Amino acid sequence: MKAILLDSIEQDLPVAHRDRKILYWLSTVDHKAIGKLYLLTALLFFVIGGAEALLMRTQLAVASNHLLQPEAYDQIFTMHGVTMIFFVMMPALLGLTVYFTPLMIGANEMAFPRLNAFSFWITFFGGLLLYFSFAAGGAPDAGWFNYAPLNEEHYSNSPGINYYAIGLLLGGIGSVTTAINIIVTIMKLRVKGMSLKRLPLFVWMALVNSFLIIAAMPSLNAALSMLLLDRVMEAHFFNTNAGGSALLWQHLFWMFGHPEVYILILPAFGIYSEVFQVFSQKKIFGYVFVAASTVAIGLLSFGVWVHHMFAAGLGNTVNSFFAAASMLIGIPTGVKIFNWIGTMYGGKIRLTTSMMFAVAFLIEFTIGGLSGIGFSIVPIDWQLTDSYFVVAHLHYVFIGGSLFSVFAALFYWFPKITGRQLSERLGKWFFWLFVIGFNLTFFLQHFLGLMGMPRRVYTYQDIPYYTLLNLLSSAGAYLMGAAVIVLLYNIYRTLKGEVMKDQDPWNAFTLEWYADAPPGERNFVDVPVVTSRRPFYDLKNPHDRDYD
Amino acid sequence: MPFVWGNLLRVSPEIPLQSVLRSSSQQAEEINRITNYFFIAAGFILLIVALLTAYMLYKFRDGKKETSTKPLSSKWEIATIGVPSLLVAVFLYFNIKTINLVEPEYKNETPDVIITAHQWWWEANYPSANVITANEIHLPAGKKILLKLLAADVIHDWWIPQFGNKMDMVPTQENYLWLDIKHPGEYYGACSEYCGAQHAHMRLKVIAQNEEDYNNWLQQHQRPAMNTTFESGAQLFMTKTCGNCHRIGGTEAKATIGPDLTHLGSRKTLLAGLLENNIENLTNWIKDPQQIKPGAYMPDFHLDDTTVKSIAAYLNNLK
Amino acid sequence: MNRLMMKLTIGSEAIFFLCLIVAYLYFWRSGNFQREVAEHLSIKSAGIFTAILLFSSFSFWQAERNHASENYKATKLWLIVTIILGVIFLLGQGHEYYKLIQENILISKSEFGSSFYTLTGFHGLHVLIGLIILLIVLALTMQGYLLNKNSSAIKTVGIYWHFVDAVWVFVFATIYVLPYIL
Ligand code: HEA
Ligand code: HEA
Ligand code: HEC
Ligand code: CUA
Ligand SMILES: [Cu+2]
Repeated sequence: MKAILLDSIEQDLPVAHRDRKILYWLSTVDHKAIGKLYLLTALLFFVIGGAEALLMRTQLAVASNHLLQPEAYDQIFTMHGVTMIFFVMMPALLGLTVYFTPLMIGANEMAFPRLNAFSFWITFFGGLLLYFSFAAGGAPDAGWFNYAPLNEEHYSNSPGINYYAIGLLLGGIGSVTTAINIIVTIMKLRVKGMSLKRLPLFVWMALVNSFLIIAAMPSLNAALSMLLLDRVMEAHFFNTNAGGSALLWQHLFWMFGHPEVYILILPAFGIYSEVFQVFSQKKIFGYVFVAASTVAIGLLSFGVWVHHMFAAGLGNTVNSFFAAASMLIGIPTGVKIFNWIGTMYGGKIRLTTSMMFAVAFLIEFTIGGLSGIGFSIVPIDWQLTDSYFVVAHLHYVFIGGSLFSVFAALFYWFPKITGRQLSERLGKWFFWLFVIGFNLTFFLQHFLGLMGMPRRVYTYQDIPYYTLLNLLSSAGAYLMGAAVIVLLYNIYRTLKGEVMKDQDPWNAFTLEWYADAPPGERNFVDVPVVTSRRPFYDLKNPHDRDYD
Repeated sequence: MPFVWGNLLRVSPEIPLQSVLRSSSQQAEEINRITNYFFIAAGFILLIVALLTAYMLYKFRDGKKETSTKPLSSKWEIATIGVPSLLVAVFLYFNIKTINLVEPEYKNETPDVIITAHQWWWEANYPSANVITANEIHLPAGKKILLKLLAADVIHDWWIPQFGNKMDMVPTQENYLWLDIKHPGEYYGACSEYCGAQHAHMRLKVIAQNEEDYNNWLQQHQRPAMNTTFESGAQLFMTKTCGNCHRIGGTEAKATIGPDLTHLGSRKTLLAGLLENNIENLTNWIKDPQQIKPGAYMPDFHLDDTTVKSIAAYLNNLK
Repeated sequence: MNRLMMKLTIGSEAIFFLCLIVAYLYFWRSGNFQREVAEHLSIKSAGIFTAILLFSSFSFWQAERNHASENYKATKLWLIVTIILGVIFLLGQGHEYYKLIQENILISKSEFGSSFYTLTGFHGLHVLIGLIILLIVLALTMQGYLLNKNSSAIKTVGIYWHFVDAVWVFVFATIYVLPYIL
């Protein structure tokens, strides 16, 4: 079997202090260690953001509840949204990307290891700063998209929103530098024979996604800079009492905000593409279509932002244009869904926890996606915008799409990262508890939206069915909470548990499984010459190798 | 705050079941038509995805004996692109059709009512009759009217589910909304753009009346406040600086920072649907506004009970 | 590798400045910029400094060419020229700011103030960063580092420096030229 030797990692990298734990984690530039740091950060903030969610659901459990004062509730729902988007999903997906991209393309490091470390730490610091606001006299309280002029000194005079701005600026810089790093890595460090046509789909999505990040973040940074100038130096950009504009903020924010939500789903699509292949024991159906539709989604996602502003009174012509663009996105996304189904067709499906999350995703994400298409129809959006229907939509896509992918990846790659295998029995418990809780919480919110309940209300009056539906919704949230505790216990127990014997428990296809589990400081000494999209599969089945 | 289950504030004007699917206006009817089509199409798509997934899981399990299946052809791709494209095209057409039916572009028609949203209450101005009122908005049923929507501070949003479409109220911008209410009656809604601490208690109530009731109401509200009795309360209202924020027609209280109180007594609710309008709620509010509606822009004046009582009596009498 | 990295970086930066320019134009009418510009800004002096910045791009290009042809003395010379020109540009901008503040045009006074200082300020910041990098490069070359054909450092910095100059051309066109052609 031919194999090519890799020259080892760049020589002059700082030696990581392996002997002294703290110092090691602070000083390491190893993409695997940094990937782990990202994942741990995401887990930490997920528990915090989830705890905030539980607080919200407790407050909303019954009508006219006085557990939380309005000020408290407003800070909590804002921090929940910001945390989950910028400090849970972003680090989780970027973490998986920096951990596995080099391994999957047969490289020993990222293109710029030091930059990689910098990116993580600045993101992490951004998160800390954001939460410091609680101690500094009040967290941001104007919602995650922080509309003007409510975000101005005059209407929100606690320092919270300054921390929001600075925290997200730092996080944004981190994401952009990471994205650049990923692109260069993929472009320059692929092992011999791995043409773009043979890139694992996860890497494909990571590539497209990085371009989205680079193109989307700047408009947020611009908006945040203006906001800071407004609040600190009394500039007039969003100060409607002095010639400023409320809609400029919305345009700049959503020019970032909509691509952002796809930034949180594309890597997920990548993960699912790998998981469906391995656990159907069959190579992907329609590789080209899946890759191409990703590019289509990426391009379209920059032409739809006004669908968050349909009710702002921009006129029918503008609205119709952006409605069209938004609906079109359904088509490439559908292509993906059906190609994954096609991948299962004729396969030998193994319903591991990882695969179960992938299968659940097909249904949940279609629900969320379809409600999205509903919103992209302007008159329907006019009815349902800013109601709980939106809350339902965004959680179906975020949780049923992005979060499920992280869970699927966790169960699929945990053995590779730690050399230990998560308990499938506990995994199944976790899956059912979480999925049932999830649907209980958020499916009912569709009805609340249809029954006229606006979002972001700290309490509601005793209107027929409101209390009932909200109470059940809160119950679902607690089920999810229980599920997460099961997951945490599963992880803890597994890390205490014994190392697995089999280096390749899933009988996987791609190069990361060719390295040891867990991989050494230096990922590969040698890598098989890549002649197809499933190099590791070829290596294991010399007689039945693919030729594309 | 102690954890208290249930309802502290008495909200006796029971709000009936809300639903976007009950249409009480021309606009809502149009919207519901496309909404229904959409739900059908969406359900159909979801069903297909679910059935296909179920089939794969049932048919192609590991360990099951090899069922020889011929691989999917490229017909699959064509179908999965073609059908959705078709659906998208259809809905794009309905979409544009409905938009223009519901919200024809505004061409300098004169609005019938000018509604201004404040943190956290509604001001209604009837230019033709120069009537100003607050929170409970009277509109004529059975004719097409034009609302002009403004915001005094931050962004708010007009939403009455049974009337159909929302419309944001954006500071420094004028938005317009066509409305064709079908039947007289009371309709409920809420401010639907997050606007700060009391966004939750910025409920909206419209009283739709037939032509003549509406006109009677207008005439009745054109009259200045009549305060034959309760002179002392009237005096106190002025001396205790209430006039710096509130307007009471026919008195020297002319400010518009707070809701107009000229005919407060004739309203069913207080504070944008938060409380029933009766003498004790009124008294509690004036005594300690921050206790009733935390964050509201009306300070606590530490008035002694007798003062509060007589002011409340005065206001309650402003029919 | 470095060059690809720098290209992606400036790609991102370009979009950032695009947003700031859009914001500037967004307030054009309500802030009646036409008048403000006519009254307070002098296209002449700004034009001169623009020329200077553009020339610094040329001089850096010279540095790159000499570096490619292993003519390192000239390289250092042209680097120094570039830095001096960059400094002159910043001084010019500083002087303009000073003048405007005298005339009571402040970031907190009007939409024009806000937009103008933000746009030009962020560009100035990028020039400053560029100068710092250039100084580092110069120092290294003085100590004889980077002095071989296949060191990509100078070319990489070059991409950034030319970008900063290019951005200024657009800023200049937007702020100083547009009022005269509209
Ligand atoms: C992962 C994140 C994610 C994803 C993937 C999506 C996907 C989509 N979203 Fe969503 N969206 C959010 C996150 C996301 N959204 C968030 C967070 C908000 C709220 C922000 C806030 O206000 O706080 C939001 C809000 C939001 C709005 C504004 C609602 C409002 O506030 O008024 C709109 C309007 O058009 C919209 C549209 C869409 C569309 C058309 C898609 C499409 O991409 C969906 C495509 C997928 C499918 C369609 C299903 C699969 C396809 C098939 C099975 C084929 C058949 C399909 C057809 C024939 C159409 N989204
Ligand atoms: C990926 C993103 C993401 C994720 C995963 C979630 C997860 C959840 N979200 Fe949220 N959510 C958003 C993104 C997300 N959300 C956004 C963007 C908004 C809009 C914000 C805005 O309007 O500005 C929002 C808003 C939002 C609202 C609407 C608030 C309002 O409009 O008033 C609600 C209400 O039910 C809610 C609930 C939940 C729940 C119950 C979960 C659950 O899935 C959470 C499950 C996790 C747990 C339950 C944690 C378990 C941890 C423990 C059990 C340990 C407990 C530890 C201690 C107590 C110390 N979310
Ligand atoms: C600083 C300005 C200010 C002053 C002074 C003020 N109010 Fe108010 N008032 C408000 C505001 C703002 C509201 C609306 C609160 C809300 O609904 O959020 C209000 C609401 C009310 C309401 C309810 C109106 C309705 O439509 O439900 C009454 C009654 C009232 N005020 C009475 C008084 C009395 C009596 C005084 C003097 C003792 C007074 N106000 C002084 C600002 C003021
Ligand atoms: Cu007004 Cu929300
Ligand atoms: Cu969107």
